[in-house]
Formats: sequence, structure tokens, C-alpha cells
Amino acid sequence: MGNGWPIYANILLREKSVPKINRRDFLKAGTAITTAVACPGIVTSMELELGGSDFHQIRTFHPRERNPYLCTMCPYFDGGFTYGEAGRIMKVEGNPDHIASRGKFCSKGLASFFSAVDPDRILAPLKRVGARGEGKWEEISWEQAIKEVSEKVEQAMKVGADTVCLNEGAFKETGTIRFMDTIGSRSVVRSRFPSVSSTTKQMVLKKALGVDFVLPDLEHTKYVLSFGGNILETAFPLAQRLTDGIVNNRLKLVTFDVRLSNTAGKSNEWIPVFPGSDGIVAMTMANVIMQEGLADTGFIDRWTNLSSKALAKGLAKYTPAIAEQASGVPAESIRRIAIEFASEKSGAIFTQNGISYHQNSVDNEMACFLLSVITGNIDNKGGNCLPRQFDIASFKPVPAKKGSVVRKLNHSFPFEVKEGSRKVQVLFNHMSNPVYSSPASSVWREVLKDESQIPFIVDFSPFMSETSELADIILPDVVATERDDVASSPTALLPWASMTIPGVKPQGKVQDVRITLKKIIEALDPDGTRGMKKYWDFANTREWVKKEVEATRGLEDGYKKLKSSGVWPDYGKIDLTTRQIMNKGQPITGEYNTYTKSGFKTASGKIEIKIPVWTPNPRHAQMQPNEFVLSTFKVAYHTNSMTSNLKYLSEIWHSNPLWINKQTAAKLGIGDGGLVRVTSDAGYMVTKAWLTQGIHPQVVGMSTSVGRSAYGRVAQADPDAELAFPGSGQQNDPDIDENIWWRDTGINPNDIIPISLDPETGVQTWNDTVVTVTPAEAGDQYGDIKADNDRHFAIYKKMLGKV
Amino acid sequence: MGYALTTMAESSVVIANAFHHVAWGTPISVYFWLVGASAGSFVISSFGWVFGIKRYKPLAMTASLQAIVLLLIVPILLIWDLGKPVRFIYLMLPGYWHSTGPMAWGSLLIFSYPISMIVYVWFVMKNDLFWAKTTGIIAIVLAISTHWYTGVVMELNPGRFINHTALAPLLFLTGAFISGIGLLILILWVQNMIVAVKKRIDWSLMEEMAQYMMYGIVFDCFLLFLEFMQTFYGNQHELEGHETVLMGIFRFPYLWLELVIGLIIPFFILVSPLKRNKYGIILASFLVAIGVYGMRVWWVMGGQYMQTFF
Amino acid sequence: MASDNNKKSSSENGKTETKNHRRTYGIQTPGTKGIAGTKRYAMVVDLRKCIGCMSCVVACKSEFGVPLGVWRTWVKVSDKGTYPNTKRMFMPRLCNHCDYPVCVRNCPTQATFKHKDGFVLQRYNRCIGCRTCIVACPYNARHILPAKRSDKNLPYEVVDKCTFCFHRVKKGLVPACVQACVGGARIFGDLNDPKSEIARIVAGETVTVLKPELGTQPSVFYIGADWEMMDETHSYNNRTVQLKQEFNDFKRNHVVDGYGDIVEGESTMRQVGKNMGDFLNSIPHKASEVVKAFKKLLFE
Ligand SMILES: Nc1nc2c(c(=O)[nH]1)N[C@H]1C(S)=C(S)[C@@H](COP(=O)(O)OP(=O)(O)OC[C@H]3O[C@@H](n4cnc5c(=O)[nH]c(N)nc54)[C@H](O)[C@@H]3O)O[C@H]1N2
Ligand SMILES: Nc1nc2c(c(=O)[nH]1)N[C@H]1C(S)=C(S)[C@@H](COP(=O)(O)OP(=O)(O)OC[C@H]3O[C@@H](n4cnc5c(=O)[nH]c(N)nc54)[C@H](O)[C@@H]3O)O[C@H]1N2
Ligand code: SF4
Ligand code: SF4
Ligand code: SF4
Ligand code: SF4
Ligand code: SF4
Ligand SMILES: [Mo]
Repeated sequence: MGNGWPIYANILLREKSVPKINRRDFLKAGTAITTAVACPGIVTSMELELGGSDFHQIRTFHPRERNPYLCTMCPYFDGGFTYGEAGRIMKVEGNPDHIASRGKFCSKGLASFFSAVDPDRILAPLKRVGARGEGKWEEISWEQAIKEVSEKVEQAMKVGADTVCLNEGAFKETGTIRFMDTIGSRSVVRSRFPSVSSTTKQMVLKKALGVDFVLPDLEHTKYVLSFGGNILETAFPLAQRLTDGIVNNRLKLVTFDVRLSNTAGKSNEWIPVFPGSDGIVAMTMANVIMQEGLADTGFIDRWTNLSSKALAKGLAKYTPAIAEQASGVPAESIRRIAIEFASEKSGAIFTQNGISYHQNSVDNEMACFLLSVITGNIDNKGGNCLPRQFDIASFKPVPAKKGSVVRKLNHSFPFEVKEGSRKVQVLFNHMSNPVYSSPASSVWREVLKDESQIPFIVDFSPFMSETSELADIILPDVVATERDDVASSPTALLPWASMTIPGVKPQGKVQDVRITLKKIIEALDPDGTRGMKKYWDFANTREWVKKEVEATRGLEDGYKKLKSSGVWPDYGKIDLTTRQIMNKGQPITGEYNTYTKSGFKTASGKIEIKIPVWTPNPRHAQMQPNEFVLSTFKVAYHTNSMTSNLKYLSEIWHSNPLWINKQTAAKLGIGDGGLVRVTSDAGYMVTKAWLTQGIHPQVVGMSTSVGRSAYGRVAQADPDAELAFPGSGQQNDPDIDENIWWRDTGINPNDIIPISLDPETGVQTWNDTVVTVTPAEAGDQYGDIKADNDRHFAIYKKMLGKV
Repeated sequence: MGYALTTMAESSVVIANAFHHVAWGTPISVYFWLVGASAGSFVISSFGWVFGIKRYKPLAMTASLQAIVLLLIVPILLIWDLGKPVRFIYLMLPGYWHSTGPMAWGSLLIFSYPISMIVYVWFVMKNDLFWAKTTGIIAIVLAISTHWYTGVVMELNPGRFINHTALAPLLFLTGAFISGIGLLILILWVQNMIVAVKKRIDWSLMEEMAQYMMYGIVFDCFLLFLEFMQTFYGNQHELEGHETVLMGIFRFPYLWLELVIGLIIPFFILVSPLKRNKYGIILASFLVAIGVYGMRVWWVMGGQYMQTFF
Repeated sequence: MASDNNKKSSSENGKTETKNHRRTYGIQTPGTKGIAGTKRYAMVVDLRKCIGCMSCVVACKSEFGVPLGVWRTWVKVSDKGTYPNTKRMFMPRLCNHCDYPVCVRNCPTQATFKHKDGFVLQRYNRCIGCRTCIVACPYNARHILPAKRSDKNLPYEVVDKCTFCFHRVKKGLVPACVQACVGGARIFGDLNDPKSEIARIVAGETVTVLKPELGTQPSVFYIGADWEMMDETHSYNNRTVQLKQEFNDFKRNHVVDGYGDIVEGESTMRQVGKNMGDFLNSIPHKASEVVKAFKKLLFE
């Protein structure tokens, strides 16, 4: 009768003997116990460790095998550990001594290890049989796969190396760019830029500061202004510092957002703004600060290219009244917040996609950045700090061909192919899923499906994504827990690097993309005469990582330590009560005001600002009462299209009803939960409405990451579905077969979001899309999506005329 | 009015929560109903032999057999409803038995009650007045206890506002009494159609039982009224439990099935001239029997219902 | 190594301790708050710091392989106010490890018991799956495990709940959810140790517990809880339509022992009938379990 848990039974039954917890036990189990005096007057005795080891909960509390792990579910790259048992990862956790993560992983990070044992995973190279996109696959050997792919590449290179294209989505380089450089192709497009910054922010900051990110020092600040960023849902290393600041430092958090994100909901003040109008609000606040004499003119005059006078003059035209008209934010609030912000000892600004996915994004970013500059909140305690980070270097880099367009987003790619301006013979797709996540994704679907436009498509995805479904060959990559990796991210005031040492062998026949590419190169250049092979001189991926570490400035000596403990440098141990990283009894902190020594990394050594200009979006000015700006946002429990097959995440978040303001909905006759038709310039979709008090009356919102038409049984909440490809289902999960209880999996809006690129940056202006919302019509079914690709194309053409 | 509406702050709405099941569901409600009907009919069966009301002696056999049969279904329901049916034996193993758990006593009762009934029936068959009476007394105590404890099981959950009342066992017993009689009348009616004329039970006895049933209905209504008073004048949880759960999701079993179909209509039948009508009595008996099932449904599931959102 | 530990700890216990232990899962247990020589592990959830990231939920689920549709801990989310003065609130929930646990009192087989260091624990091998404790718990902290789960060596069709991560705490680690808590909202420790962080907080801050009027003496304390979120009736009456629809999906598709779910908006009695059908459907499976158990008993 004891179905497999007799040991636990014994432990509890033998008591007498309910195990007693005594000091000796944990002294033995834990590593050294740090005794630390945190703050005066408080004697701490948090006698429990915050992590660093793990045990099986039933089988006699067996310790689990620990290996360093680096989460690549988002560009924050938090460091942690995997805990394994009998060749299987049982869980992952943050590394408590890691200066950035401090042992905290977000839900996506914690669930990430499930990708490895996902029963819907692709475990062997697949070749399409039947028509493209038909969903019929056969397993082929790696030899055959490499042979077929390299032959196609060879053929394409005869036409021109640039006809070999790469669509890249990885948060960091994993060999694909090196591959393109090696074969001499410049055709790289990206679905995202490898950085924690939003694309526009990177561009603006690069010009102004010489770096592409600023780190708000949230732990020490007294005031936080967040414009269009969602710290508590998309930036977890910062989020944990924000909560510390809220309670320990009593900071004030003011969030500008079009809807009530978790961050907005937890803020002291949520200020709903009209989409794209953050810029004028920030400009106005800057103006108020200058006018009120609260600006740090000394800093401006010494460290920027403009004089404070010139700046004040340039900003003078942005009065609160004008800003109120454009943004809907009461003039009085703008004034008050500006004065509050500038009067505090320190203040930090956070901006993200909410302001940078607009036509006027460059000015929006510059305006928000100005707020830190004029208050002198640059690289000071509690202000916006310069990033401290190791730039993981490419070892023995391939000299890139002139004009390599690595920094180009992929949004117009299918249009270019369709109109014939871009010739593609072979398309490689890596860590990207444009058929789901790019604008006009229905056009992507059409173009990728058409063999005459793209003859050969290779995907490296470990999962059957919407894009992989249209590939000719799938060369399954390893997932994060199986990949040798090193990374760094500017999330702390001191630089750090973390590493993954896989504790388990990859499942099935999957192969790291770097090895796959190496084999393709070897097939192309077997004897090294073409000069390709020499760039692929590494035995395995661990060696690759070692070479990267040794080539990285400041990290040269870190490999050994990284390999053993996963993080470097070793700054100290976490304090059990204050959760600060401590060294010799002192919490470690970064150095501030680093620029005073050598200036900023710009040509002039100063901050190069430009007085921003306010240009309202003309389309928004003409909106009708049933027209709304559609805002598509990320949630804390998913990363784009990577996580929806992870059962614990999809259980939390699996559907995306349309957020609509309660009062507005009442006017339009839309009921809570009722079906609505959302029509854009390129088509319509039918979804459910969620009436809420948490959204601007002229905005409707929808989360991304759900609404999957592929990716697996969990993502589609279809436990009975048959897998279309062989070589999978190695370990079926009865939990997935039997216990998936949700059925609503939401809708993907990208089919009807037309392309609309910001002329200055080439970034899709996701948050500008205008849609009409009406109650559903007769015959409309939940989930109907109708996109008109001709309209999409016409919109593209019109846009080109403007750019 | 319009002014009041616009300035009134909206109270919070729950936008995400975990979901919980109602842990005791239909099988348990059926079981409560059967146990009740069994106890009720057994009480009737004892009238003749235990309390010496002679004219009830002829139906003692049918009544106790009905009680036994109903009770035979009970453990099957209960055991299969366990997550681990094999382990039902733990309920009675000395090392496992937990004196503070009402379920632990209940399981003893459920097993001893049918045994005592069988012994009693055996003496009835042997026509042994003394032993029939003695075992009958034991059996009737057990019968009442068996049903009383089902009320207690529900009552001792301080978090379940609808159930957490000392009236619970009484309500259960009254329901048991009337549904037992109702079912017995139905069975005797069928039996009369089958057996020889000589062995038929006299209808005047049915009429008399129907009158007992009527008194039971009155008492049940009184208890329900007390319950109603408590929920209505009690705290907000009780009031809302009554308003939104009983009158909402359980409106049919509560208001229609139990109150109207199960109590009010039979009551009027039984006080009207129809009480002398064979078919009137049969109809009333039928309505009472199913009405009590309505009570078992809302009582068992309704009490847990609201909390599944907490 | 671990089993060695157990032996040692039991021999270290000595006689008086042993007696103490028996009491902890016999009749109603005496509380451990303020009792010298015992620990009383407790948790404070500082809602000012809770950001609704659900790391705790995923950490707990991974730690124990908790099946879909049941939770040892979860986070309730609610929106408050009218546009534009809207706030969002999060409230993590878990077993309160009550000092006066109704669940322990009502369990007929002593399968659930109070450990003398404050934990309320389950003995899966004793649990018969009668779910009395689920009905008894005023906090929904318990669940019955579904018949199918990822690791078939782990218990199923018995009742489970949060263990306060007994296995980790015993080894000197904080519970998994505390480890993972991004906001740093969850704080864990021994309330009986006046020097501990948690004792300081409970003594010094304004803390509340859920349903204090029931006298269950919870060991989970909240800082900054909103009364509406703490209120059962309020939650019932103020759910979004979406949540109702989700819950209905849950009731339709997640069938576990119990068979008492009523899908809202459908006929109650038809649901009752469907429940009975589900119950009857479960009998073949259960019968095979019984056969399996007897085979094991007789032939192994
Ligand atoms: N959990 C999670 N974290 C992630 C990711 C993920 O997928 N999931 N992805 C990573 C990646 S690739 C990125 S780029 C970042 C993105 O991180 P964020 O930029 O923080 O995320 P978004 O949801 O795209 O947008 C942020 C907010 O902008 C709001 N918004 C929209 N329009 C406007 C506007 O006009 N004005 C203002 N003020 N706000 C507006 C939206 O309502 C939304 O709440 O997150 C990274 N981190
Ligand atoms: N409507 C709307 N659309 C958006 C956004 C929005 O806010 N609204 N946000 C945009 C933003 S900011 C971004 S960054 C993009 C992101 O969009 P993409 O760059 O396309 O990235 P993902 O959607 O995350 O797709 C990643 C794919 O990589 C594959 N993959 C997953 N894990 C692995 C792995 O371990 N190895 C390999 N080789 N492959 C893997 C899977 O097939 C997965 O689908 O989406 C954009 N799309
Ligand atoms: S914040 Fe990003 S890097 Fe950190 S655990 Fe979450 S997904 Fe991983
Ligand atoms: S919360 Fe519920 S399960 Fe936990 S100890 Fe209290 S009564 Fe028992
Ligand atoms: S389900 Fe298990 S733990 Fe709960 S009361 Fe029944 S036997 Fe006890
Ligand atoms: S203490 Fe352990 S079992 Fe309880 S909720 Fe936290 S992680 Fe889950
Ligand atoms: S992990 Fe912590 S901050 Fe996140 S939801 Fe749970 S309790 Fe709240
Ligand atoms: Mo992104």
C-alpha cells in the first residue's frame, strides 16, 4: 500500500522520532554560517540559509547535485544553480551570492529548466516531408542534415553570399553571427537587439553618453519616475531593489503608463498618459525644474554640451498647460511631480518600450534622459548610473565584411522579399519566431511558406514554433540548462559575469548550435583552404566559452572561479537578514561618479544632449470615439514566445482578453467578457473584453506570449493533440496529459498589426497602432482572425514613401 | 443619485486567484441522504417491537430491511469516494483511530449500526420479544447516532458558515425522519401491490405515518426558520452565504427542491382533505423524499462553495 | 547520510521529548507559541514588498512537483479603485500552520499532525483521502492530489498541502518560496526565538492574520493586508467575469476526487448528475488500485 513513499513514511512513523531540527543539523548541511551584524541595535539570528543547496523532499532528504547556471530567458542573465538528481534537473534557483540576482529568479527563470524535459520538444534533426507547413516531418541523421544544409549554402554562395540570410533573435551572440561573417554574408536581420535596453534607448544613450544603458540605483534612490517601463514585470533584478527601496528607503514611485501594469498598480502614483505623449510630459517637467531653479546647473554647465541657459531657453515653450492638452496629465500633477523629483536628494528614471515604440521615440527618450541630467542624477548614489558590465568578447573575431548590417531589425524583411528587393536562397532562423512575434506576422507566414520566394529555410529551434513549422530542416538546439554559456549584464553597480556548466547531458540527439555551425563550416571548407575553418577552432562548447572568457577585458582570470561557483568576481556572501552582499562585515557598494575621472565615453567627454522636439502622432489626433490605441505588453510570467509550453507558467497566464476602460466600454455597449471585434487597417480579430478601471479610456491593451497556434500541447492547452514529428515524447508527462485545466489560450494580435517603422530608428512602433473596437458581429467567433496581406503590403509601400 | 454613483469608490475586484474544488460533493450528499432515510425508516420499524405499538409490528420487517439495504449502499459510496479506498480499514485500526475526528466515530457507527440492525431483525424473525426489544433499543440509538454524526461532521468546521451551527444534527435527524417515512410509504405501497391481500399493510397505518411526517415537516420548517434567522441576523458571511450561495447557485435545491417541493407542498397535501387520499399520501411521500435530497445537496456543497473563491 | 541524521536526532531527543512528540499528533495538539524548548516556525509576508511575480508559486511547484490545478501556495490579485486612482494588490496564500489546526483535529486517522516545531504535516501513507481536513481548513490550504502526476513515485489521491518546506528547514535552509521571493516579501524563522528577525517583526510591526476570529492561531502573518482581500465573502462577490469563466473551465476539466464542483451558469442539478457520473467513472480506476494494493500485499 505504500506506493513508493515508504521512506518518508518511516521517517515520520518511527517517531518517537519526528525529526527534530537542531543546530547541528544545519551547521552540517549549510556551508559556513555567516554571523553578521546588520544595523546597529539589531542582533540577527536568521539561522536559516537563503539557498545554495537543495534536497529531495521525500527520499530521505537527499542532497541534490549542484551546478552553476545562467538564466537566458531574458537579457538580464541572472546567475544561479541547477539542482540535479540521477541525470535530471529537478529545479533551478538563484545564486544567493550573485551580486545582481542575490538568489532571486523570476518565475520564468525558475521554470526554465522544464524546457529540457518538455515532452513536446524536438529531439532530433527533422526534415519536412510533404508541402511546406503541412506539418509532416521525418527524422534524419545529423550527417544527412549537415550535408543537405551545407550543400544549399554552397549553392547559395555561388549566387552570392548575401543570399544566405540569418534571422537572429538571441539575447546574445551564440555563433550565428560568427557563422555569417565566416561565409561572408552581410544579410543579418534581428527580431530584437541583444541588450536589456530598448532599441531606441540604446541609440539615444549611445549618442548622448557613449554607453547604451543606464542603471537606476533603485535601492538608494528617494524618487523613481518610470516612463513606459514595467520594472516589476520585465526587469526583475531591478524589481527586487525597488521593493527594498520602497520599504527600507521609503522612496516614492511614480509610474507613467497607459494601463495598470503591476508596476503601476504598486506605485505611489499611477499617471495614465495618452500613448506616445510621455515625451512632452518629460520635457515639461524638465522645463518646470529649470524654471523653478531646482536644476543642477553646475552639473549641466560642466558636464553637458549645452549651457544651462541654452537648455532652459530651449525647453521654455513646453508649459504644463500644453503638456496637459497633449497627454491628458493634469498640469498641476506635472508641476508637482517635477518639483518633488528635483527636490529629492536623488531620483532615478526608468524608461522602456512604452515610450520607445512610438513614432516620436527618440525625442521621448531624450526628454526622459534630460530629467536625470538636469537634476545631476547621473552616476550618483540613487541616480541613473553608468553600466558596469563585462563585454563578453568574441575570441579570434572574424573580420567582418564591410557593411555588415548586424543592427537592422527584421520587420521589413518579408516585404523586401516579396517585392524582390532582397534575394534569399537560404534562410537561417535562430531564437526568433517572427511568424508569431513580428508585425504583420501574416505576411511572414505567407512569404516563408512560399518556396519560390525563399527556397530553403533552416531553423534551430528546440520547439515547434509557428516559424519552425514553415522550415525545411530543423536542427534542434540545446536549451539553457544544457548549454555551456557565459554572460554579463549591467544590472548591478559592480560588474559580474556568470556561467552555465550543464549538469546533465542534452536530451535525445540535440546539438548545440555552435557545434552544428562548426560542422557546416567543416563541410564547406573541409581542408581549411577557404579560410573558414580557422575561426571554428574549438573542440567543444566549453572550450568556446573558455576562449570567450579569456578574451574578455577584465575577465581574463575568471574562468576557473566561474567554472566552480558560477559567478565572478567574488564580492562576498549574502547577509541572511538584510540580503546585502557583505564583505568583511560591510555591505559592498559600487563606486559612484566614475565619470569625474575620465569623463563620459563620448567624443567630447561630456554628455551630448539635444533639446527634444515634441511631434504628436497625426493619426492619434484624428481618433474617433470607437478608435483606440492598441497596446501590447509583456507579463511577468512569460518571455515573448519562448515560455508558453512551460506548464507552470502557462497555468498562471494563458489568455489575453482585451483590456478596455470600464466607462468607455459602457458607452460603446461592450459588456464584461463579451466578444468584441478589433479592426486595424489590415484586418480584424475577435476576442473577449475585460472591463477594467486600470486603462486609459483611449487605449485598449492585450498581452503577448499567448495565443499560440503552435509550440506544444501546453501552449495550446490541447492535451490530447498528437505530436506531428517523431523523436519526441521521450518522457511523457502525465500531468500534462491529464491535468491541464484551462482551455482559453488567447489570441495573437500580430497578424493584424501593420508594419509601421519609426523613421529614425527603424523600430516597429508597436504602441502606436490604431484599432476600432466594436461589439462582435453576428457569426463572429472567439479567436477569429482575418488579416489582409495585400493591405499589409500597401501599408508597407505607403510607409516606404514616407521614410 | 448620479452624483453618488460617480463619486463612490469601486470596491476591489479579484482578478486572479487559485481555484479550489468542493471537496465533499455529490457522492457524500447521496450518502447523507441514504443514511438519513435508513435511520428514519428504522425508527418506524422500531415502533412495533421497541415501543410496543402493536399495529406497527407488521411493517417492522419491511422497514428494517429497507434500512439495511439503504445502509448497505452507504459504505460502498463512502469507500469508493475515498482517495485510497483500500485504506478505509485505517478508520478502525487502533493505531490510526483519532478520537477527536468526528469521521472516526462515524465510521464505527456506520459499521456497528447495520450489524445491530441485522441482529435485531433476526430476533424479530424469531419473534423473540425480549431480545428484539433490547437489540432494538441499541439499534435505534445507533441509528440516531449514525445520522447525528453526519450533522456533526459538517458542523465542526468553523470556517463553513452555513454548516457551522449546533442545529445541524437536529436538521439532519428531522430530515432523516421524514424522508425515511416518505420512502417507507412508497415501498409499502409497492409491496402492497405485490404481496397477497392478507399480508397487505393497512392504509390507515400509512395515513398515520403521513401525519407523523407532517409533524416532522412542521418541525423541520421550524428548524430551518431558526437557521434562516441566524444567517439573516448573523454576520455578513452568513447573510451573504444565504443570499448569494443558497439563493444563488443553490437556489433550485434549496428554495425549490427542499422548501417548496419537499416541505410546503407536502404540508398542504397532508393538512388538506387529500391526506385521506391514497394518491395524495403517495405524492406527498415522494415529494418529501426527494425534497430532503435537495437539502443534502445545498447543505453539503453549499457550505463549501463560497470558500472556493477565497 | 540523511537517515543517519534522523537516527541521531531521535536518540538525542530523549524520553521527555518523545512524549512531547506523541502529543503533537494525538488529540488536539497544544500550541507551540511561546513554549520553551520548542520552535515555532512562522512566516511573515510583507505585502508592501510583494510584487505579484509568482516566483514563490513556481518555486514551490517545482520543489515538490505539484501537479497542475492544485497549489500549495498561490497569489491572489485584486484591483482596487476607480480610474485613474487604481491600485493593484497581491496577497500570497499558503497553509497557516495554525497553532490550533482544525484540520488536525478533524482527521480520522492521525494522518495530519502538528510537529512540535510548529509545522502541520501530512503522513501520506496514512492518509485515506477522505478530505475531511480540506473541508475543515478555513483557508483552502489543502488539496487532494490528482490520480496522475509527473513523478509516479510521489503520492497521489491523498491530501497534500504546504509543509513549510520541512525538508529544507530541517537542513538549515529557508523554504523554497522564501528563497525565491523576488520582492523579499516572505520572511521565515522561529517565532519563539526573541532574537530572530521574524520575532522582531511580529513584535514590532503591525501584523494581521487571516480570519483571526476563528481562533486558529495562524503562523503566517501579513504586513499591510487589505481587508477586502482578506475577506472571503468579498472575494466571492467581487470576481471578474474572466475569473468566473476560468473557474468554470477549471471545474469542467480538472476532475479530482470530491465530485462537488458546480459550473456556474449551468443547471445545478444537472451538474450534480454529472458529478455522480464522474464518480462512477472513477470506480474502475480505483478498483484497479485496490487490486494493485492487494497484489502487492500478497505477493511482495
Ligand atoms: N517578464 C518578461 N520580462 C521581459 C521580457 C518578457 O517577454 N517577459 N522581455 C524582455 C524584452 S525582449 C524587453 S524588450 C523588455 C521590455 O520591457 P518593457 O518595456 O518594460 O515591457 P513592455 O510590456 O513592452 O512595455 C512596458 C509598458 O509600456 C506601456 N505603454 C505602452 N504604450 C505606452 C505609452 O505610450 N506611454 C507609456 N508611458 N507607457 C506605454 C505598456 O502598457 C507596458 O506596461 O523586457 C524584457 N524582460
Ligand atoms: N505585439 C507585440 N509583439 C511584439 C512585442 C510586443 O510588445 N507586442 N515585443 C517585441 C519584442 S520587445 C521582442 S524582443 C520580440 C521578440 O520576438 P522574437 O525575437 O521572435 O523572440 P521569441 O518570440 O521569444 O522567439 C524565440 C524563439 O526561439 C526559439 N527558442 C526558444 N528557446 C530556444 C533555445 O534555447 N535555443 C534556440 N536555438 N531557440 C530557442 C523558439 O522557437 C522561440 O519561439 O517580440 C516583439 N513582438
Ligand atoms: S529576470 Fe530574466 S534572467 Fe532573471 S531569472 Fe527572470 S528570466 Fe531569468
Ligand atoms: S491553514 Fe488549514 S491546513 Fe493549514 S494548519 Fe491551518 S487549518 Fe490546517
Ligand atoms: S484526507 Fe487524509 S489527512 Fe485529510 S482528514 Fe482524511 S485521512 Fe486525514
Ligand atoms: S513553505 Fe514550502 S511548501 Fe510551503 S508554500 Fe513555501 S515552498 Fe511551498
Ligand atoms: S515571490 Fe514574493 S514578491 Fe513574488 S509574488 Fe511571491 S511573495 Fe510576492
Ligand atoms: Mo524586446
